[in-house]
This record gives sequence, C-alpha cells and structure tokens, in this order.
Amino acid sequence: MARTARHDAIHALVDVKQGLISRELFVNEELYQQEQERLFAHCWLFVGHESQIPKPGDYFVSAMGEESVILTRDREQRIHVFLNTCRHRGMKVCRYDEGNTPVFTCPYHGWSYGTDGRLVGVPYYRECYQEQLDKAEWGLVEVPQLVNYKGTIWATWDEAAPPFAEYLGGMKVHLDTLLDCRDGREGGSEVLGGVQKWVMPCNWKFAAENFAGDAYHNISHRSVDLAGIGPSGAGRRDTVERSTAQRLGASFPDLGHGAVSFLQLDDVPYTPSYQNTPIVEEYFRHCYEERKRRLGKDARLLGLVGNVFPNTAYLARQPRSIAVWHPRGALKTEAWRWFLVDADAPPEVKDVLRHYYLRYSGPAGMTEQDDMENWNYATLASKGVIARRYPYNYQMGLGQDYGTYDSPGVLTDRIAEQNQRGFYERWAAYMDGARTDPRNGGRNDGRATRKGARPGAHRPESRGKPPDADGRSRSGG
Amino acid sequence: MSVINLRHLQPGTKIGLADGSTVEVVSNPLDGIWVFARYLSSPRDTSLIGTEEMIFAQDIVEIR
Repeated sequence: MARTARHDAIHALVDVKQGLISRELFVNEELYQQEQERLFAHCWLFVGHESQIPKPGDYFVSAMGEESVILTRDREQRIHVFLNTCRHRGMKVCRYDEGNTPVFTCPYHGWSYGTDGRLVGVPYYRECYQEQLDKAEWGLVEVPQLVNYKGTIWATWDEAAPPFAEYLGGMKVHLDTLLDCRDGREGGSEVLGGVQKWVMPCNWKFAAENFAGDAYHNISHRSVDLAGIGPSGAGRRDTVERSTAQRLGASFPDLGHGAVSFLQLDDVPYTPSYQNTPIVEEYFRHCYEERKRRLGKDARLLGLVGNVFPNTAYLARQPRSIAVWHPRGALKTEAWRWFLVDADAPPEVKDVLRHYYLRYSGPAGMTEQDDMENWNYATLASKGVIARRYPYNYQMGLGQDYGTYDSPGVLTDRIAEQNQRGFYERWAAYMDGARTDPRNGGRNDGRATRKGARPGAHRPESRGKPPDADGRSRSGG
Repeated sequence: MSVINLRHLQPGTKIGLADGSTVEVVSNPLDGIWVFARYLSSPRDTSLIGTEEMIFAQDIVEIR
C-alpha cells in the first residue's frame, strides 16, 4: 500500500481532531499484525529491572511485543537482551522464567550459547561441520540498542531509533517520580518479590490508554474505596497527598506518552498515610522531608500514573509498580506487573508495602480487577459487525488549553482525554509510516532498521557497551 | 551400553569419549546436553591435553 493510501486508511480510524477512535483498533486482527511490524519493532520497550539479574549468569525471560527475549548479565557484568530463539531451527534456548546459567542450550539439536550471546557449542562440530561453520556469525540475535535507565532496562529492535532520552522527552520528569528513591536520591529501586503475570481477553491498547491518564474512570473503583484498602488499612485506595495538590495531566502527542501527576502549589507538610504501622509511617515522613530538602521546588511534583508509549505503564507512588501490556492477539493481552521499592528501605517497610501492593494490583488486586472487567467487556461488546460501526468518544476537554504550569507537554489541570488523544495520534504516526519514513525526517525507516536482526549480524565481541539514556556508551551493569 | 545422565556428572568425574579420549569434568551447566571438561588424554590429537572444551552428551561413552 502506498504511504498516502495507508495514511488515509489509518486516519479514517483515528480522528484526534474530532476525538473519535474506531473500534477496529481494538478488535481487528489485521491492524494487530501491522502493529507488530510498524510499532513494536521500532519502539523502545521495557524489558526488566537490573535487580532481577544481579549476578553474572542471571537471566530473566521477558518479551518485546510478541517476541520472547532473554535479559541476562554475562561474565563481564554486561547486560544483554537476546531474542530467545536458536539460530539453527528456532527452538527457544531458554524455557524457564528466570535463573542462573553459564550457557543457554537449545534442547532440539544442542546448539549452545554463552551469556554474552556467542555460539559456543555445536554438536559434531568437527565430524559433521568439518569445523567450517563460522560460530561468530551464528550467535543469538541481540537488540541493537539497550539502555539501563535508573535500574530499568529498555531495548529496541530499531538500530535507527532515537536515543532513549530523546524518545522519553518531557515524560522523564514523570517517570522519575516512579524510579527515584522516595527521599529524592536518583534511582535506587529494586523489584519487590516476583513478577505477576496474567492474561486478559482484551486488546493491549485498552490498558495502555487507561494508564496514559484516564482519570475519568474513578467511579469504577468506588467500591474499592468504600472497602478501604489504603496503605493505612482504611480510606482511599492510594495515598492522600493528592488531596492537597493540583492535578497535572501531561500529554506528549509527538511521543505518545501520557501521565497524570500532582503538583503541590504550597509548602505542604507530610500527610500521614501509614498510621497503623509506626515504623513505616516514620520512614515515609523522613523520606518526604528529605526529598523536599534535596529537590527543592521540584519536590512538589508527585507522580501518580503514566504510560510510556506504547505499552509500559506505571503507578509512581502507591502501589509503586511497572506494568507491561504484552500484545498476544487483537483480543488478548498478557499483563506483567513489577512492584518496586527502594532497595535500602527497612524490611518492615518492604513487608507492609508488599501486602498493600497485592491488595491493590495484579490479578488478585481489587483495583486491577475493576480495570480488567471494563477492558474485557468493552472488547467483547465491540467485536460485532454492528458495534464496530460506532467509534469511541474521546472528546473530553477537546479544544481546551490549560497550559499554565512550568512543566513539559500539553497540560491540563482537570480531568480530560487529551492524553488518550495524544496516545492515538502517535499510534497513527507509527502505523501510517509518518514516524518511520525518512522523507518525513524520521530516523526509523523500517528498511534501514533490520541490520541488528539480520542473520549473521551478531558480533558481540565488537558490539561495545550499550549507550545510556543520553546515547553515550556505558556499561549495562 | 546404558545412557549416561549428564546431570549426575560432578566436577572431577573422569569420562571416556567416543574417540578414545579421557576428560575430567570441570563444571556442569546441568542442561543435560553439555559438560565443560579438561582433556587428560587424546589419541586423536595430543595437543588437546590440558585444554578445556564443551563435551556433547552423545560423545560421552563411559564414566571412568
């Protein structure tokens, strides 16, 4: 399809100016397949956390779009992300969720790879290959770009994708409210417990756009607030500092990210949230004061929720976590949720948070169950040929401008659907080729981005260290 | 000849290979397919003696 025709086809489905999005985006298998090539093969995707692979040989099997990948740390402490498929016949070389190993061995014919991706073992190498097989050409396929951003590992299959910091843009300040220590120090988080994984019968974009900042659906969680699952064991499901702050919806339509944070307008004292557990209450009071001291006026920004385009969502404060909405079909999503905590938090704090996080999130979490009900039944009710004729409405706040705060992005101080419109504006740009066409100034021409994945391209010994978020070479360790 | 379960081979175990070589297990990744081993003897190539190699399960014929 010529790009102009593709553009017209996509924008017939996504009309952000009118605030109308076709239901086809949520049920159409052909669009879903196109997303894999045009979007997931180009975007920066969250893979895992460095605390999941602290030692050489540690690995965590993750996913990038539909692709199974291995996040691992080699003997030299370098972090890698490899496609989890043998170069010989494609069998998975790692079938466990996580662990430690000196080699990834394919169970089919026995090809074996080091944790640096090199092909190190080939059965009958002398007898049947006559030592003619060039092992250096047949290592595991490795992502061409990888970054360790404050402990979180992100990767892209697109060699020409912009550096992660550029990809993140103004979303950084919001994402940092998740990743930085509660007392304002940079980074310092670790994964608390295991990764929760579950499957939902809905399209991945329902979850992504919800976490991009759907503040309109609070009514869905009213029963949770009535039950009182807050950190103190009562009251609203999350922390209460937000009641003394200004809502700050931030959309980045040229990047696709969206966030809702809160901005304290005055010098607000700490708001007690863990009254039932004095040690935890004292810890968070201390962190709150320290953060104000370290960050000054920047400490006024309190993160709530956000989605890094396309499918990495977070809850910045309570329950502090990252979720990835893995696409598994037009009507199926595999959700993974990582819970974070400051690595040096006292054990009592981690234990209380673990219980609170589980009350709130994950397949058994009361709030996440509410969300899934909505997404699952919306999907079911959108499949029919009649239902598909009627687009969804994204018109809340359309045409209004609230940009009065000193913060990047398109901002609102009230509930609006600008973040969702921004998400789909970016989605359309990827899908119609505008994002990836070099004639449009894009750096992501799909024809030029396959190098990292082409057969024989993998040469780990010459690859050097992965860049950091600013594009500089750095150690992944 | 019984099939040898590689997962039971501990470091230090001496094993015989199909080409007549004898190697000593250095480490075992427990994948059931390979072990890391050092050559103690090799009628095929004496330069291998002392070197370490990954040994494929089907090349192992006996425990010595």
